[in-house]
Amino acid sequence: MSPGLRSDEGATKEGGTLEAPRRRAGDTVNSWHDLVTASLIGTERSVVPAVGIPGLPPAEDDPGDPAAVLLDRAALLTAARRAGRRPDRAEPLPACAPDPRPTVSPAAARRLRRLISGEHPDLLTEWLAAAVARGLRLPPQLLPALLDRVRRGRPADPGLPRLLAQAGGPRARWLADLNPDWEHAAEEPSTDDKTWRLGDTRQRRGYLASLLNRDPDAGRALITGGWDAAGAADRVMFLSVLADALGPADEPLLEAALDDGAEDVRRWAAYLLARLPGSALGQRMAARALRYVRVEQTVPGPRLSIGTSRQPDPELQRDGIAAHPEPIRAPVESRNHVLLEVLARTPLSTWTDGFGLTPAEVVALPSGGWAPVMFAGWSRAAIAQGNRDWISALLGRALLGPPGPAAEIEALRQLARRADPALGAPGAVPVSAGDPDAPPPIRDAARILRFRHDMLKELDDG
Amino acid sequence: MLAQAPDASSLRAAQLLASGRSWPLTGAEDDSALWGECLGSTVTPYRTVVDLSGPAYRCSCPSRKFPCKHALALMLLWSDGTVGTNGGPPDWAASWLAARSAKASDPKEPKAPADPAAALRRAEQREARVASGLTEVDRWLCDQVRQGLAASQRYGYRHWDDIAARMIDAQAPGLAERLRALAAVPYSGPGWDGRLLEEYALLWLLAAAGREQAGLPPPLRDTVRSRVGFTIRQADVLASATPVRDHWHVLARRDLDQDRIRTRRAWLRGRHTGRTALVLSFAAVGQSLDDSLTVGTQIDADLAFYPAAVPLRALVATRYDTGPGGVPLGATVAEMLAGYAAGLAQDPWLDTWPAVLEATPARAPVACLSDAVGEALPLHPGAGDCWPLLALSGGHPLTVAGEWTPRGLWPLTAWDEGGMAVPL
Repeated sequence: MSPGLRSDEGATKEGGTLEAPRRRAGDTVNSWHDLVTASLIGTERSVVPAVGIPGLPPAEDDPGDPAAVLLDRAALLTAARRAGRRPDRAEPLPACAPDPRPTVSPAAARRLRRLISGEHPDLLTEWLAAAVARGLRLPPQLLPALLDRVRRGRPADPGLPRLLAQAGGPRARWLADLNPDWEHAAEEPSTDDKTWRLGDTRQRRGYLASLLNRDPDAGRALITGGWDAAGAADRVMFLSVLADALGPADEPLLEAALDDGAEDVRRWAAYLLARLPGSALGQRMAARALRYVRVEQTVPGPRLSIGTSRQPDPELQRDGIAAHPEPIRAPVESRNHVLLEVLARTPLSTWTDGFGLTPAEVVALPSGGWAPVMFAGWSRAAIAQGNRDWISALLGRALLGPPGPAAEIEALRQLARRADPALGAPGAVPVSAGDPDAPPPIRDAARILRFRHDMLKELDDG
Repeated sequence: MLAQAPDASSLRAAQLLASGRSWPLTGAEDDSALWGECLGSTVTPYRTVVDLSGPAYRCSCPSRKFPCKHALALMLLWSDGTVGTNGGPPDWAASWLAARSAKASDPKEPKAPADPAAALRRAEQREARVASGLTEVDRWLCDQVRQGLAASQRYGYRHWDDIAARMIDAQAPGLAERLRALAAVPYSGPGWDGRLLEEYALLWLLAAAGREQAGLPPPLRDTVRSRVGFTIRQADVLASATPVRDHWHVLARRDLDQDRIRTRRAWLRGRHTGRTALVLSFAAVGQSLDDSLTVGTQIDADLAFYPAAVPLRALVATRYDTGPGGVPLGATVAEMLAGYAAGLAQDPWLDTWPAVLEATPARAPVACLSDAVGEALPLHPGAGDCWPLLALSGGHPLTVAGEWTPRGLWPLTAWDEGGMAVPL
């Protein structure tokens, strides 16, 4: 008789005392480990250990095949161990603070799930901002996937962690504290000025954006005060943050930056000046544009007459337009290139005021072979200047109008992402745009409009 | 159509058969009947006829499954559009189809019983084959333990597939399925050796029980036979079981893909009877699963339970109504474990047990669920951290439904603050 069996008999005799059950449970665990060890080695080379199960008489010595004996005992112990499983103990997590906001509707939650899974990724920012604006809470079960998306930087938007922190509320923060991967995926920028002096680029960027939001003058002072000492990378960061808080007071700094030594800084400055209503750069562009584009009265009606100048324009380069297109970024002919870039930077009021027409009337003017360039240039201007009337007019021209310019896919997509979502209401988009025979860019734009309309409506219905 | 399959293994077998090479002759008539000759292990091909209006099936193979894999394969071919439509049925198909349509026009005529003597003979043959399979598996298990399990990590899948294939030949598909699944155990992480021994031991127990089945109480005998691989026709379950009518709350659902078959497990709980039911459905990979049981809803229905020592598996016999289910009552960890222990006492092979707990997720020392008195159970390692569950809880208690297994709890559904069921 093996020693294990003997000790088990002892335990059975002790039955009834408080000590006994604990010892027996320990015996069960030990005998299981012994059995596993014996089975690994094989009964050819090991002795089958005896097992003890609390409440059952000890197994008798079995004269049979040791392998069969081992399997018999293992079967008994497997059932006993599964049935006798004891609960564990866990360390509780800190409880999350409550979020008093109402949760978005189930339809909105389904839409968010689609956005997270990669459908229309560029609209995620708009959805989150709309939920925050309506004071709604996100379905908590979607926060992990959302945190993952923001951590991986898709869509690439430096403002997304702040937006997710607001939309996700305390629950998003609570989750982010549990998972180091999400450390920065849902954070409000620091408002401690130590961040500005000691933080890394991401933190300083957040600090500056939040300061510009709370106190534009203080933010501006921070930029002008730090400008001279800043390197090119920091200056680009300043300007990219300023893009969301642009005001007339920024013009002197931007105008000076047109002569900066770094090309990226110059490019950003020109881009921002073109977006700034009433800027001198805008006026210079308007003058150029009106030199190129005129309204001509013809027998069928007014049309656009376009004549690009071959005269060198030394100021053009300073205003951010290269003499020749970059081959990869703008695969257009050289003469089209200058017209396109000028149109993209020209204040849109130049056309409506200059011609005495509404945006819809301007975009409807025939321009022959120039039409695609005109459409693309106006689209970029409408997007940069955030002009919803023009966006609607351009989309209307593409979606509703007679077969129009073969507009660039990307331009149409961009317009559809920024247009008044009411354009996506059922009936607002004409049948032809949803038609399977419609050109893909048109269908694409119609889909984006519809998606935006639906998603905002679901949030309103919440 | 594949919902006609009596079980996953029939469907898998049918898929293997559903190729033109096995079927030198097929035909169809007006989408009402199919026939075909299938090459099998015998000299003469099996002759299969399907009356799609029933559907009803006839096949010359000895299988007692209904429909058999040949009928299923023929329907698969037909749904793929590879069954020809030219020419009428051959005589052997035409006579059966004619008899059926004659019977259909005269519903009073009782169903003609199949040749009872032949059926008995087939049943006896199968019992004998299974018995020899059980002996073979016994011997194989002893060999494993004699030589030691240490080498298992060096074996390939073949090691388990070979013995599984022999159990298929022995018409014990339940054993085959268990054996095939073992190939993954040596690669399942620390503790694999103990888990492999557990599975071998339970197989050993099953083989022993299969040999001694005559002496077992009838419910346990049903459990043993179904685990060995004897299936019961759905029609027989519906005909013999007393239907249990209740408001059945659909608590959780889990889909598993294995060997080109998708299995959906739906766990239901009766509001009045308190009984738990498991409704299975099958589909081929790429095809959609039965979607009629939606988590969070409650169906007023008659369920027919398969006979077993712990009757869990059931069929929805008649469905009367569907409504919202609300939040189920969650148990404590101790209550759930006690229920599982009671189940094991009846059926030691139970390794998936329905759990509805009122508990708070925690992460230390491992991802787990902890109840109001601080008793905790680990989550299944395959479920990972289950962040959506953590996010729903926010460190507060919630109701969770899932499957308890010896390796941990697999969470499947949680109820949010608004009482909505959220599949995890």
